[in-house]
Amino acid sequence: MEKAKKRQFGIIATIVLAAVIVLGLMWATATAKKNQEHQDTLARVEKLGRIVWGVKADTKLFGLMDTKTGVSKGFDVDIAKALTVQLSKQTGVPMSAEFVPVSSSSKIQLLKNTNIDGTVSTMTITPEREKIIDFTKQYFDAGQSILVKKDSGIKSIKDMNDSKYTIIVVVGTTAAEETKKFAPKAKLLAVQDYATGMQALKAGQGQAMSTDNAILYGFATENPDYQIVGGTFTHGPYGIAFDNDQGPMIRETNKALATLKKNGVYNKLIKKWFSNVPGLDWHELEAK
Amino acid sequence: MSMIEFKNVEKYYGNFHALKNINLEIDEGETVVLIGPSGSGKSTLIRTVNGLEEIQEGQLLVNGFDLHDPKTDINRIRKNVGMVFQHFNLYDNKSTIENIMLAPRLVLKRDEAENKKMAMALLEKVGLADKAANMPSELSGGQKQRVAIARSLAMQPKALLFDEPTSALDPEMIGDVLDVMRDIAKDSSMTMLVVTHEMSFAKAVADRVIFMADGQILEDSSTEAFFNNPTEPRAQQFLSQVEHH
Amino acid sequence: MDLLQNNFSTFLQGFGYTLLSSVIALVVSMILGTFFAILQILPQKWVQKVGNIYVQVFRNIPLLIITFFFFLVVAKVIPMNGFTAGTIALSLYTSAFIAETVRAGILSVNSGQMEGARANGLSFWQAMQHIVLPQAFKIALPSLGNQFINLVKNSSILAFVGGLDLMYQGNMVAANTFDTFGTYIIVALFYLVITLPLSYYMQHLERKLKHAA
Repeated sequence: MEKAKKRQFGIIATIVLAAVIVLGLMWATATAKKNQEHQDTLARVEKLGRIVWGVKADTKLFGLMDTKTGVSKGFDVDIAKALTVQLSKQTGVPMSAEFVPVSSSSKIQLLKNTNIDGTVSTMTITPEREKIIDFTKQYFDAGQSILVKKDSGIKSIKDMNDSKYTIIVVVGTTAAEETKKFAPKAKLLAVQDYATGMQALKAGQGQAMSTDNAILYGFATENPDYQIVGGTFTHGPYGIAFDNDQGPMIRETNKALATLKKNGVYNKLIKKWFSNVPGLDWHELEAK
Repeated sequence: MSMIEFKNVEKYYGNFHALKNINLEIDEGETVVLIGPSGSGKSTLIRTVNGLEEIQEGQLLVNGFDLHDPKTDINRIRKNVGMVFQHFNLYDNKSTIENIMLAPRLVLKRDEAENKKMAMALLEKVGLADKAANMPSELSGGQKQRVAIARSLAMQPKALLFDEPTSALDPEMIGDVLDVMRDIAKDSSMTMLVVTHEMSFAKAVADRVIFMADGQILEDSSTEAFFNNPTEPRAQQFLSQVEHH
Repeated sequence: MDLLQNNFSTFLQGFGYTLLSSVIALVVSMILGTFFAILQILPQKWVQKVGNIYVQVFRNIPLLIITFFFFLVVAKVIPMNGFTAGTIALSLYTSAFIAETVRAGILSVNSGQMEGARANGLSFWQAMQHIVLPQAFKIALPSLGNQFINLVKNSSILAFVGGLDLMYQGNMVAANTFDTFGTYIIVALFYLVITLPLSYYMQHLERKLKHAA
């Protein structure tokens, strides 16, 4: 009897403990969420004199970590730097730019947690995302495409609407959702980052990798056995993102972006990063 | 015909010369007691007989097979040679009767009903029929040793080796174990080699006594001759020491 | 709670794959682990060495690297999906730890048990199977329990190679709903559904065996 009682006590104690932990986590989450609200990003960055930008670390041409320096390089990074300079001019507050590597799946959470102030990270503007974060006007025009092996015989996404095909996508990208619409029968393999995705494609874990054409061009230049086929099948321009309800920050950044496009800085950066990409007409990307 | 035969056997542990030029013949049905001071090599010698210790030189024939020949299947010899240890070495995870039935079942493929009948008969013989279902941890030392003897007998060996079977027992337990051993010795076909300090047992049961010291056999004579008239000074000294006890 | 309701089938699918991978890896790693534990205690030096190298390799390399090795390298020769690659890696990785645990268990079984069995006529393998290993497992049970729980949690490695497990589905739900915290709390609860009963079962087994002795 005594033993049974003890055991019963042990089970109850554990359940209570588990419940306390879960409730504790939920409370912490709720508190964290509350704390995030009503923080004005513009006020914060002006006060601290720095803007922390989330940028990609695994995306050639946009944000690719330089393994020697540990700093990301790419169009996104340069845009963020130029915006920081322009924002300093506009507000009259000198601000420096800092960079934090983010992944497709982590960037929204990092914004919400104020680990980063804003993010320039190949992020497509979508209605779902606009519900929880704020976007600036588009800073880059992109559309989804597929990268396949040259001898695969696949001509477009429509060819892949068959359960024998696996399409590789990156968790948290719009491609993961969009691909289902265009090739509903194909299997999806979601990986954590583009580098793994490319490795998986080479290892034969899938027959195509799908994401924005601009990103795929980066991989195609590095891997001559692979090519982009079928053009773009979605239209999804990139925006710079901040936490939600950041009217002042969005206004200032849109103003800064417009200035960069007008004064030629934007086109200089387009030329710097995209003029040497085979198969891409970089003049189409220039601000008119 | 000889059951166990040592021919110029040498045994080393690294540089330590444990057995020196051993020559010994034990006939079928003989009961031989091996005595000597501790460290004399008696345990080593008895352990070589079923291959628990390897020999480095010479020939060791058991039931006609040479243990030093790498082609000899040691498991086949062990089927015919049982061993009883100082610390019993009962299977701690098996009940008394399972201890006895396991090897006949696995090695001899003895029929299960037959196996059980024989095991119960052996437990009866060693006076522990009521302990069949008990675990070894529930038995006294003397009871464990009697189960161990029953376990060896269940394999119906031609020879039985006893390595100081009563040394780890409380004095009041020793008698029961020796009684069982005496019974076995009466069976004229069973060859027994016993390492022991029980001189009364040796006097009463042994056909021959072998005295060892420093890894050598110093004396090998009939029981009567050994106890009445030991020739070796070291044997004389040893006997006077143990008989004082 | 909406999060759980709306994505219940997704979580459930992940839960199923996590459970399946864990069960397969548990069985395989027990067999492999026991095998390599025994290799390390055999008298032949070169056999010991083989066992030791296996254990050192798989114990000292991060699970993620072993997983990627199968997913990206081995898959080129023998096609396998992420689930298979991850489960194989998980099995090998865990087996190295189990080998060490079981080896320690075997070494703490009195050497007289093996000697008694051999003298009784049993072969080395028979003695291992019927006498030494049952006692070794009993001794090793508490740390084996820890290994099993680690195994279930480590199965989240499947998420990195599209293994469809709980963590993978959690990542997908988090990416679609943008509710990272909520999603991972649900994922954590699903893991508890496996690990808590497992903990209890191991403790129960320990108690039972203690009384049996």
